[in-house]
Amino acid sequence: MTALGLVLIGVFLPLFPFSMVFNAVLERVTQPMLRSVLLLAWPQVGLWALSTQMPEVPAWLLVWALATSLLYAFRLLAMREIGRWIGFLATSAWALLWLPSYAGVPPSQLWAFAAGFSLPLVFLTLLAQVLEHHFGAAYTGLYGGLARRMPRFAGVLVISVLAATATPIFPTFFAMLHALIVSQPVPAVALTGIWLIWSWAAARLLQGLIVGPAEPSPELDLPIAATWGYAAGLAGLVVAGLILIGSRL
Amino acid sequence: MGRKVARISIASSTASFLVAAILLSLVLSGQEVASAAIGDSWGSLIFDPLSVLMGLLIAGISLLVRIYSVRYMAEEEGYGRFFMLLDLMTAALLIMVAAADLITLMVSWHLIGVLLYFLLGQDTRSKSAYRYGFWTFITYRFGDLPLVLAAAVLFHTFHTWSLPEIFTALAANPDTTTFFDLPVSEVVGALIAMSAFARSAQFLLHTWLPYTMDGPTPVSALMHAGIVNAGGFLINRFAPVFAYTDNVLHWVFIVGVFTAVIGSVLMLSQHDIKKSLGYSTMGQMGFMIMECGVGAFSLAIFHLIAHGLFKGTLFLSAGGIIGQARYDDGVPKDDLYTFIVERRPARNRQPWLLMAAITLAIPVAVLLFSHLLVAPNLFQKQGAIILLFFGWVTGAQLLFATYNMRSENPWRLVTLIVFSFTVVVIGYTLISHAFDVFLYPDPEFSTKLYRAAGIDFSWFVILVVFASAVIVLGWLRAYYTERSQQEKWHSPSHWWRNFYALVWREFHILDIYTGLTRGLLAASARVNVWLRWG
Repeated sequence: MTALGLVLIGVFLPLFPFSMVFNAVLERVTQPMLRSVLLLAWPQVGLWALSTQMPEVPAWLLVWALATSLLYAFRLLAMREIGRWIGFLATSAWALLWLPSYAGVPPSQLWAFAAGFSLPLVFLTLLAQVLEHHFGAAYTGLYGGLARRMPRFAGVLVISVLAATATPIFPTFFAMLHALIVSQPVPAVALTGIWLIWSWAAARLLQGLIVGPAEPSPELDLPIAATWGYAAGLAGLVVAGLILIGSRL
Repeated sequence: MGRKVARISIASSTASFLVAAILLSLVLSGQEVASAAIGDSWGSLIFDPLSVLMGLLIAGISLLVRIYSVRYMAEEEGYGRFFMLLDLMTAALLIMVAAADLITLMVSWHLIGVLLYFLLGQDTRSKSAYRYGFWTFITYRFGDLPLVLAAAVLFHTFHTWSLPEIFTALAANPDTTTFFDLPVSEVVGALIAMSAFARSAQFLLHTWLPYTMDGPTPVSALMHAGIVNAGGFLINRFAPVFAYTDNVLHWVFIVGVFTAVIGSVLMLSQHDIKKSLGYSTMGQMGFMIMECGVGAFSLAIFHLIAHGLFKGTLFLSAGGIIGQARYDDGVPKDDLYTFIVERRPARNRQPWLLMAAITLAIPVAVLLFSHLLVAPNLFQKQGAIILLFFGWVTGAQLLFATYNMRSENPWRLVTLIVFSFTVVVIGYTLISHAFDVFLYPDPEFSTKLYRAAGIDFSWFVILVVFASAVIVLGWLRAYYTERSQQEKWHSPSHWWRNFYALVWREFHILDIYTGLTRGLLAASARVNVWLRWG
């Protein structure tokens, strides 16, 4: 495999510093639908490139991938802008796809893992758009009090963040378990460390958004139909995750 | 809407309590252990003695908490959300105790931490409630990870998620090894113990417990009465693994003893009553883990049930006590005042040698008699001897305290206390024996657990003698200090004041964690700046 091929895969299946390309692109794309497509398609391109260009993943790449994931998880802690937060979490999660790839997990399952990581981030992208529309910026720690101001929105936001950070029984949880059981002890310990940092970052993000005194503003809140739409989407995510990933454990 | 949710919640809770009671009665009547599964490899539940007993406790406490919450939370915002979260929490706890496979156990174990975070942050306006809720959440997440690693090791070794299958395979081949040629029982035992330590607030992973009092009182009751006990449950669930360990239970014992001592010291030194209660739970959790460490697994279950009921009552009656304190502050009165104004008798001291003999001898006699009644082979188990030793310390401490009590007839008081102590010890012994027979009916298995916890006999004797000496010296010191204070006021030494300040500041553990957290966040921001946030 050529160095150019590795760079190409490293851009789409994140390996630092090539991973910076994705975050730069995501930052420039402001349209939420386009962002969502980007989030869904990017790792799939990487997996396709991996399966065609690199049938066998060398062991040394795992260290690079884990370091990339750990770096972006760590950077997530201080990130307050939600758009970038989504990009960093995506980079950290997609880098972990190298582990099951190395272990020879079939491409169809890798596809499901990648989609499982991406879909909750799509929900978050759409929710961030609502915040930008109402407050001018989707920024944690800036206004807060969303649980009182927009309770339906806050509920959907909390569940989406939990889904994105590998909380049971969302697909990300089962994808992490898969990655864990195919890993050797040292990568497995690193993986659990990354998982812990995600949880920390998720709690920081939520605390800055939902907690705090505020007056209820029903006019800003998600319409009931949209809330049901999100709820159905998240429930579908759980069911699909259980069928496509959870049942194969 | 909120009222309807509360009604549904109480109805479902009552139903789950009744089902748990029926299941327990079925198991008590000798019914075969039943199981149920909704998936091929995971999603299975088992109704063995441990799960049905714990299920009844959880269903009972959560029913009481919900009944209490109906009025207590009536004027709070998010009434319906609170009951929904309580329902989810109860479901997660019930699934956890009945999980028959590792994935179901991990899912419920993880969800409990997440749900507790949102229950503690019920008041979404309170930043401090979320701040302290976060400590709980992150400690619980830290504790989830060893369990996940243990599950991965077990799956890698035995190629199944099913707990009964894993335990059978391990019993058939206890020397099975895993990564780096390490014994699987030792590796998994150590990881499970770490997970239990985080959940049960053992030393260094305890800071969340005394500070999570900003949550609603019913949540505190549920947390202190049920959730925090999960560490003891987890160790019991993995008893078939611990039975084949060599060293893990010794560490469990050390961590438990250390936590019990530190928790008790911190409890006594705090001015804040809520923090004091939190540290009291920490001390109890230390004692529970210590019981596991000496091989008395069933006793740990008895302890966690007793503590759960006691602490739950304490929290739920906290409101009444605060009301009562408005009329009586409960501060002990001065000796001179009670003697002259209230005309109560002055302390009536007895010959100290006689009192010392009674203090040391009677508890030993009572404890030995009651335990030999149910277990004639008692002295073959080191763990039982250690527990007897602790019983002796407690009994002697009780009698020691009577020395300072005022009574017109001190001998009557001593007789009554000895009689009460005897009744309590015999009751405790019989109940704990019944728990042992119920949870671990195979005496050979119980012996294996005690053996796994045992140490070299000479070391054992040295440790017991050392501990006895420390305790007796402590009593003498307390006696001497009190005598000298009565004669002349001595200002505490510089060393002693520094030590007190250290204890009062909770050994600066919290400051260290806070500093570490701030450092990590600052480093994260710095890395982002270097990389231009891209």
